[in-house]
Amino acid sequence: MNSLAQTSLLERFLSAREGSASRNFFLSALWWSLWGMGAGMLAGTEFSMPDLIRGVPQLSMPHLRMWHVNAVAIGWLSMGYVGSMFHMVPTLCKTKLYSERLGNFTMWAWNILMIGAFCTLLNGNTEGREYAELGAVLDVIVVIGLVSVAFNIYMTIVQRKVKKLYVSLWYFLGSLFWFPLVYVIGQRTFVALPGLNDAIIGWFYGHNILGMWFTTVGVGMMYFLIPRFTKAPLYSHGLSMLGFWGIALFYAPTGTHHILQSPVPEWLKAIAVISSIFLLVPVLTVLTNFFMTMRGKWGQVATDLPLRFAVTSCMFYLVTCTQGPFQATRWINWYIHFTQWVVGHAHLALLGTFSFILTSSLYYCMPRLTGREWHSQGLIRAHYWLKFLGFMLMMTSLTTAGLVQAAGWALGYPVDQWSLSLHPYWFLRAISGFMIVTGQCLFAYNTFKTLYTPRATADATVKAREVKV
Amino acid sequence: MYGYRLGAIGIVTTFFIIIFSTVLMPMVLFNPKASGRGNDYKVIPLAVGDAARGRQIYVREGCFYCHTQFTRIQDRGYGPLVKEGDYVYETPHQLGTARTGPDLTNEGGRFPSQWQKAHLISPRAMKPGSIMPSFSYLSERDMNDLVQYIQTLGNKRTVTAFVTPPDEYLPTTPQGRGLAARKNVDTASDAAANAGRGIYTQNCASCHGLEGLGNGPNAITLEKKPPNLSRDYYKQYPDEHWFYRISEGVTGTRMPRFQSILSEEQRWYLVAYLKTLPKDHEVTINNLDQLNVVEPTHLPVLTKQVYEPHHGKE
Repeated sequence: MNSLAQTSLLERFLSAREGSASRNFFLSALWWSLWGMGAGMLAGTEFSMPDLIRGVPQLSMPHLRMWHVNAVAIGWLSMGYVGSMFHMVPTLCKTKLYSERLGNFTMWAWNILMIGAFCTLLNGNTEGREYAELGAVLDVIVVIGLVSVAFNIYMTIVQRKVKKLYVSLWYFLGSLFWFPLVYVIGQRTFVALPGLNDAIIGWFYGHNILGMWFTTVGVGMMYFLIPRFTKAPLYSHGLSMLGFWGIALFYAPTGTHHILQSPVPEWLKAIAVISSIFLLVPVLTVLTNFFMTMRGKWGQVATDLPLRFAVTSCMFYLVTCTQGPFQATRWINWYIHFTQWVVGHAHLALLGTFSFILTSSLYYCMPRLTGREWHSQGLIRAHYWLKFLGFMLMMTSLTTAGLVQAAGWALGYPVDQWSLSLHPYWFLRAISGFMIVTGQCLFAYNTFKTLYTPRATADATVKAREVKV
Repeated sequence: MYGYRLGAIGIVTTFFIIIFSTVLMPMVLFNPKASGRGNDYKVIPLAVGDAARGRQIYVREGCFYCHTQFTRIQDRGYGPLVKEGDYVYETPHQLGTARTGPDLTNEGGRFPSQWQKAHLISPRAMKPGSIMPSFSYLSERDMNDLVQYIQTLGNKRTVTAFVTPPDEYLPTTPQGRGLAARKNVDTASDAAANAGRGIYTQNCASCHGLEGLGNGPNAITLEKKPPNLSRDYYKQYPDEHWFYRISEGVTGTRMPRFQSILSEEQRWYLVAYLKTLPKDHEVTINNLDQLNVVEPTHLPVLTKQVYEPHHGKE
C-alpha cells in the first residue's frame, strides 16, 4: 500500500483538520443523545404501561434506566461538553487546539466506550452503584478519555496568545483537574468498601459528577455564550471569580445530603447540609452576573434562538439551585426524600439546565466549525418549544407525583393504597418524554441537513474559524 | 503569571481539603462494627437458593432503582430501624435512592417464598395496581436465588418487644426524650384516670363504647370494628404505645389522628384511663342488644312550616 492511501486513512480517522475534533464530538453527542433520551422515554412509558414489554430483559425498566442515565450523562452531556471546550478554549486563547489528532483519538475511544456501555448495561452487566454502573474496562477508557482531554486543553492554554484567562477558562481548567480525580475516587471498581462507607463515597461521586463536571463546565459555557450572543461585555469579572471559588469550595462536600436519613455520621450530614445551603452564594453570584450582562438585551431572546436556549438554561439553573438547598435541609428532606420530586429535580438540573446550555452551544459552535448556516430556523424553533414544553410537563408531573408519594410515605400508608393515584402523572411523564425525544430528533435531522446537503453558494454569513498562527 | 500560579495552587488545595474532609475522614473515623443484625451472605446455608448469588441478581436487575433498603424513623410498617453496623457486609451498597415500590429492609419472611416468586413473574396478579416490571425472563435458578436473597433481608433484625411504638415516642430518640420531658401526668394514678374518663366519654365512646368494649353506637356502621379494649392483650401496651395510637390514629380505619384534636396533656389523661380498661377476663360482646344505644333525639317541631316536599300532599 502506498503512503498516500495510508495518509488518507489516518486523515480520515484521526484528522488533523482544524475544528474536526470538536465537530466529531458534537455529532457523537447528538447521536448518543437520541439513544439515551429514547431509552428514558421508553422507561418512562413503562411506568404507565408496565406490561408494554414483557420477557425482554434488555428492555426492562431498570436496565433501560441504567443505560438512560449513562447515555445522557457520559454520552450526550459529557461528549457535548468536550466538543464545546474544544471549540471555546482555542477561541478564548486565540490559538489552535493543541492536537486535533489526539482530540479525534479521544473521540473514538469515547465512542467505543459508549458502544461498550450500550452492550453491557442493557444486559444488566452493572457494578450496582448508581451513576457508576460502568464495568472496569469501560471505567478505564473513561479515565483515559478524560485525561487526554485534560492534557489537550491544558496544552492549548499553555500555548495561548492572550495573557489574561477569561473566567470560562477557569471553570474548564478547574473541572478538568478535579473531575478525573472525582471519577477515579467515585468508581470503587477495584475496592470493596463496607456498605455505608461505599454509600458515602458513592454519593460524593454521585453528586460531584453533577457539581464538579456538569455544573462547572456548563457555567463556563454560559459565561462564554451569553456575552457572545448579546455582544455585551461581561457585567463583572470580580463577581465571576467569587462565583467560581464559591462553587469550587461548597459544591464538593454536599454529597451526603442524599443519605441524610441513613445511619451515616452526623457530622458528615452537617457538613453536607451547610455547604448545600451555602451553594446559594455562588449560584446567585453567577446568575446576577448573567442577568446584569443581559441588561437591555432581553428583547434579543425573541429572535435569537440559540440565545433563547441559553437564557432558558439560566432560568432553570435559578430554579434548580433554589430547589436544591431547600430540599437538602433536614426537615424538607424528611418529607420528600425517596419520591419522584427528586427525579424531577435531577431532570431540572441535567435536562433543564445543562442540556439546554449544551444545545445552545451546539447551535452556536456548529456553524463556526463547518462554515454552514443552520438548515432551518423553523426546526430550531420547533425543537425549542417541544423541549421546553415537554420539560415543563415532565417537571410538573414528577413534582406533583412526588408530593403525592411524600404524603403516602410520611403518613405510613402502604404503597398499594395510593399507587393507583399516581397513574395520571406517569402518563403525563410518558407524553413529556415523547415530546422531548421528538424535539431531539428534529435537532438531529436539522444538523444532518445542515452538514450533508450541498452548500448553498452565496449568502452564507458565517465563516469557519481560521486562525493564522 | 504569578497570579495564575496562585490560582492553580488554590484550586488544588481547595480540592484536596474537600477530599480530605468528605472522603478520607469518613473512611478513617467511621468504621462501624458488625452489629450482628446484618446478613453475612457468605455464611448463609444454601438451603433453597444461594442468597449471595441472589444478591448479584438483585444488583443485575437494578432492583435498587425503585426499592430502598433503609428504614427511617417515620416509616411505619417497615419493621425495626436500621443501625450503622447492619451494613458492613453490603458491598456494593443497595440503600437505594427512590421508592417507587416499598422498602425491602425487613422484607424477609413477610410473604411466603412461593408468593415472592409468583410476584416476580406476574406482579399485577399478586398486587393489583402495582407498576413493577415482570421479571418472568429470569431463569429458574436466578429466580430461586433472588427469592432466597429477599427472604434473608432483615431476618436477623428480630423484634424484642412485641408491641412497641415508633422510635420517636421512645426515649431512644430526641423526639421521644422531649415527649417524656413534657409529660406532667402520672398515668398510674386514679386521679388521672378519672380525668381521662371524661375525655374518653366525649371523644371515644361513640365508637369504642362506654366501657371500651367496642360497642359504641357508631360501631355498627364501621367496616373495621373498634377493638374490645377489655382483652388482657392490651395489658402489655406501654404508655407510649397508647399515646402513639391516640395521637396518630389507626391506618386503614376511621380512627382519627387525635393529635390535632386533643392537647398532649389531655392525651396523657386519656392514656391513664385506657390503662384501666383491660381485664383478666375480657367481657365479650356477641349480641346486637349489647350495643350502646343513643337516646332518641327529638327534633324541634317547626310550627310555621308551609312546604314539605318529602311528604307530598296532605
